[in-house]
Amino acid sequence: MFLARVDGVVIATVSHPSMAGHRSIICQPIDAEGRDEGPPVLAIDPLGAGQHERVLISTDGSHTRAHVKDPKSPLRNIVMGLVDAKETD
Amino acid sequence: MRLGHVIGRVTLSQQDPAYKGGRFLLVQPFSREQFAGAPLLPLAKGSSLVVYDNLGAGVGHVIAFTEGAEASAPFDQPTPVDAFNAALVDKIFYTPPV
Repeated sequence: MFLARVDGVVIATVSHPSMAGHRSIICQPIDAEGRDEGPPVLAIDPLGAGQHERVLISTDGSHTRAHVKDPKSPLRNIVMGLVDAKETD
Repeated sequence: MRLGHVIGRVTLSQQDPAYKGGRFLLVQPFSREQFAGAPLLPLAKGSSLVVYDNLGAGVGHVIAFTEGAEASAPFDQPTPVDAFNAALVDKIFYTPPV
C-alpha cells in the first residue's frame, strides 16, 4: 500500500472487459513529506477521488479481481481510501 | 498499471503454444514528461519492454499495461507473460499541481 496524489484520469474505450465501467486515475506516488516519488501509475478508483486529492492505493491484485468480479482481470492498483490527514514526526 | 508508447512489434517464427492468439509489442514506458505532453519519440531514451497484446494495438498507440503476477491472470493456463496490454488509451487528462 502506498500514498499517492491524484493527478489526472485516463479514458480507454478498448480495454480488458474487467475495466469497463471503472474509473482509471493517474496517481503520483508521494513520500511522507508529500514529495513526488517515481513516475505516475494507474489505479482503479471506486471512491471517486478528486483532482490532487491524496489517496491510499492497494497493490493487492486478488482484492482488485474480487472488486471487479473477474478472476481473470489484469488489474492490480485500486484506491482503498481518501486521506484526510496524516502525521509524521 | 503503467502507460506506455508502442514503438514497435515483435514477430516470432516459432513460439510457445500458450501465446496463441496474441501479438507482442515493443513498448516504451511513459516518463513523467510524457504524461505532461512531451513528444513521443519512436526511439526514446530509457529501457523498453515487450508486452503481450490481444487488443490490437499498433505502433504509435498509447497503451495501459500491467506487470507482475497480474500480467498472466487473464490466461486460462499458467502462462509466462511479464507484461500484458490491458487497454488502448484514447485520452489522457494529466494536470500535476504547479
